[in-house]
Amino acid sequence: MDAALGQLLMLRLRGGLRQRLHQLASLRGLLFSIAFGAIIWFLVTSNSLSGAGFLGSGALNPQEFNEQIMTFMPLSMLALSLLTVVMTTGPTFHFSPNEINFLFTGPFRRRDLIVYKFGAYVAGVTLTSAFIALIAPPQTGPALSVFVASLLTLVFVQLSSAVISMLGHVLDGSKLAKAKWPVIAVLGAATMVAALSAWAAPDRGMLDLLSEFRHSWIGTIVLIPYIVFAELFVAQSASELALWALVAVVINAALLQAVIVLDARTTDRSLAENARLSNRWERIKQGGSFWATERSEVPSIRRAPLLGGLGPIAFRQALNALRNSFKLILVFAGLAASIAPISTALGAPVTEAHTLMIIYIFVAFILPRNLVCDFRGDLSRMEIYKTLPIAPWRICAGQLVVQAFLGYAIAMVIIASAFVFEERVTAQVALILAAFALPLTFLIYAVENTVHLLFPTKLVAMGRADFEFLGRSIVEFIAKTIFVFSAIVVSIIAGLLTLRVMEGTLVLPAVVSWLTLTLIGLLTLGALQYAFRRFAVAETID
Amino acid sequence: MITVTNFSKQYKGFTAVNDLSFTVEPGQILGLLGPNGAGKTTTLRTLCGIIPPSSGSLSVAGHDVAKAPIEAKENLGYIPDDPRLFDTMTVWEHLAFTAAAYKLRDFEKDAEALLASFELTHKRDTLVHNLSRGMRQKVAIACAFLHNPKVLLFDEPLTGLDPQGIRGIQQAIRDRARAGAAIIISSHLLSLFENLCTHIMVLNLGECRRFGTMEDLLSEVGHTDSTSALEEVYFSITQASDETPESVKA
Repeated sequence: MDAALGQLLMLRLRGGLRQRLHQLASLRGLLFSIAFGAIIWFLVTSNSLSGAGFLGSGALNPQEFNEQIMTFMPLSMLALSLLTVVMTTGPTFHFSPNEINFLFTGPFRRRDLIVYKFGAYVAGVTLTSAFIALIAPPQTGPALSVFVASLLTLVFVQLSSAVISMLGHVLDGSKLAKAKWPVIAVLGAATMVAALSAWAAPDRGMLDLLSEFRHSWIGTIVLIPYIVFAELFVAQSASELALWALVAVVINAALLQAVIVLDARTTDRSLAENARLSNRWERIKQGGSFWATERSEVPSIRRAPLLGGLGPIAFRQALNALRNSFKLILVFAGLAASIAPISTALGAPVTEAHTLMIIYIFVAFILPRNLVCDFRGDLSRMEIYKTLPIAPWRICAGQLVVQAFLGYAIAMVIIASAFVFEERVTAQVALILAAFALPLTFLIYAVENTVHLLFPTKLVAMGRADFEFLGRSIVEFIAKTIFVFSAIVVSIIAGLLTLRVMEGTLVLPAVVSWLTLTLIGLLTLGALQYAFRRFAVAETID
Repeated sequence: MITVTNFSKQYKGFTAVNDLSFTVEPGQILGLLGPNGAGKTTTLRTLCGIIPPSSGSLSVAGHDVAKAPIEAKENLGYIPDDPRLFDTMTVWEHLAFTAAAYKLRDFEKDAEALLASFELTHKRDTLVHNLSRGMRQKVAIACAFLHNPKVLLFDEPLTGLDPQGIRGIQQAIRDRARAGAAIIISSHLLSLFENLCTHIMVLNLGECRRFGTMEDLLSEVGHTDSTSALEEVYFSITQASDETPESVKA
């Protein structure tokens, strides 16, 4: 690497470290970092005490665990590569606008710039690998081997994705580019046929089919590069680890060289992609969404609904969801639909506590963090809302309507999928779940928005080691979970009390329970209105 | 139309505006002048209900912005210095949104006329994140004009506009004032004030240093060879740090 770029890399790493230390100097930063540390400590100790992974999933013996890794890790990595081909959007190595202004105009070869970016990436994944080594279940072996395996695998994922994307860019415009979608269609059809045959055959599941493919001769050939990285994780001795690590380093070096060669042929495309990604990050910094439509013109909707002031706000968010988050909604709907079949295939049906906990995390943490169609994406536009001649409660309700509806739709997909794939989820149970999911979803987003307006903050971490952000996210999630679970408990108590008074029928207690949960949701809307009134635009986000 | 009485605003111990009083009548255009941090934007943002006042009262078209905010905002149009539009909506959808927010049932004709006057007709179906800063500023102004407000507040209205845009906006402001709107403009562009304003208020460190008609101010200084008269007034007031603040009613 060029000496100046090496120096720049060191200065940036020092700057990042200094920023983290500054976070620790403030009380809030210190508390959230301690909270994050405490959660990690909890995960580490619970792993070492129980011998099971996060959330206490059933512990496998080391041999079974290694077999699972050797079978499914290469397949997962292949799926990741295919996903990269299909969903390729961003640049392979992202240069920020200031890097483009300073470095692209400086006396540096393009090769040096790629190596510099690669160096920055390796520094980042070193930290991620250390984190993985800390929380990995004990069956994965010594922490050092997990660290080395994770580091080399993450570097491989980045480089292989880059090579695949760049090959895609190079092939764009050539005759071969026309084959992209037919090939994807054939692969998709083959996957569908395999999935249907697995579903139809009572004694063979989807995982059995995948396992057979992985251990077939064609599967082994296709998956050879990925198998090397699976071998890293299951290495039984230091010499074995060193051998596979050497092979992995050679593969990564070859990929890096391929990136440098291909980069020379995709410079224009890379610059355009960099600009697009920079715009996205700029939008996020202003409290917007990462996802945005690529179109510049669309047919306008001629009129917005009035609905006493609630309509125009919901109209704005509905357009936001439709144009910015449509793909994301489809992805989440797909994930939601696959929860029940996957959990059933893995022997942990949706009725089990661990699976329910994962579903809750999906619905109440992952989904709200990614699908943002409410106040959380509008912090930079709060002054527009503040100047509107609309009552604050109507503005708040308008902001929640679309987000809660989308959250409810995803929850309905999970319930429908559970009804289809899980025997214990009968039609009656599904209907009850569907009824209660509505006030519960509304409550989750009302709490989410209230907390966000009371304590406004960015929606994404600024770098890998933003411990304050990570700590804060976890603390917020725990606080919100306590509130939501308390509301559920109160509604259950209200139902039980009604059952005690009105013996014999279950309908009335269920209705009382539902009404209680709805009432708590509406009261939280009142709290959101207070937070909206209190929100000081001048302070904006920290 | 706009009445501000003993208005003060404090932020965590810092006084942004101190005991400000003034009125702006229909047809008048008041220019708020002052260095950075003088309290101009704070005054505008408080008048349009974005931030609450610490003390004092502010009314728009006879409605107190703190006690009757909805009624006050129905009569108000605010154009911020940095127009933050909704990036997933088209130009027309911003007008449709504004019409719904202000409960305007038949807005299409007025909206079309505004698009034409700001040369935005061909951008009707363009998503606003693809517009230049000047274009976005025009969209914000068109939205603010759509409900024909009695009071208009402009914070740096000419930022990012091309010469044609500047001329167009200046003419639009004059037309609105002639139609009876009370207007306040905050800007650092002294030439804008000389072209448009009937009254001038010079703020410094949150206090009113000078308030009067444009003619009164200019007649005090007279014309000089090297600088404009308003520039002379501005520097003589803002650099005289020991001058006693005053609150005057026009």
